[in-house]
Amino acid sequence: MAFPTLQPTGRDFDPGTYPVKTFRAQSGAETRILYGNQRTGMTLGLSYDNILDTEADDFLAHFDEVQGTFQTFTVPSDVRSGWSGTDSAIDVPSPNAWRYESAPVITSVRPGVSSVKVKLVGVL
Amino acid sequence: MAKLYTGKDGRLLIDGTEQIKVASWSLSASLEVLESTTLGDDQRTYVPGVQEFNGSASLLYYNDGTGRNDAATALKKVLKIGAVAEADTVTLTLRLVEGSTNHDVELTAYITSVSFGASVGEITKAEISFQGTGALTTVTI
Repeated sequence: MAFPTLQPTGRDFDPGTYPVKTFRAQSGAETRILYGNQRTGMTLGLSYDNILDTEADDFLAHFDEVQGTFQTFTVPSDVRSGWSGTDSAIDVPSPNAWRYESAPVITSVRPGVSSVKVKLVGVL
Repeated sequence: MAKLYTGKDGRLLIDGTEQIKVASWSLSASLEVLESTTLGDDQRTYVPGVQEFNGSASLLYYNDGTGRNDAATALKKVLKIGAVAEADTVTLTLRLVEGSTNHDVELTAYITSVSFGASVGEITKAEISFQGTGALTTVTI
């Protein structure tokens, strides 16, 4: 199955950065070496509060399907709901793809209702 | 026939026994709601959470001459030697009477607080508060 097509109740996005190494001489002069021309390491945190348990377990099924943090995948446009900027601005730029940074965390709220937190990281 | 209800129509039953000399009772019900608003929504949305029922009652500290004192019985649900057990619930029936028709709310509850005292020039009352546990068992209001 693909990543669940639900609209999140909360979202945070870190755009990552370019692979740069900085060297500083004793004189204070700085030298920067760019090791790649692709921005990477972006993170996407998604919260799905008070959803049905049957929707929450879709995240676990997907986590199993991609073998945890091993395989990469794309996310549906639903995760960007409410964002009126350019879609690609808060997605992984090609050739990056998302993978789970850690397992989804499910918090049971009441019988049949749970909240889920998902943390994704963009990798080359 | 049109009818306005007053305190005269009120009754309080504890474990099926109508209490004597009840001065007042009140019941409060609430529903917790869980927000389900998602990004992009213009209005907040909610789903129902858990319900809660609690209330209070005031009974005159009254001995009917046969040794029965309902206020004392209620007070002793909390004023007791030893711990309160899980089984120490009471079945409360809060009733409004209309002729032969009863308008009831019945629930299982723990007596959570009691207070009583004595003051010069005042009738002694037992004030009790209760916290419902589980669902209502009867609602015929």
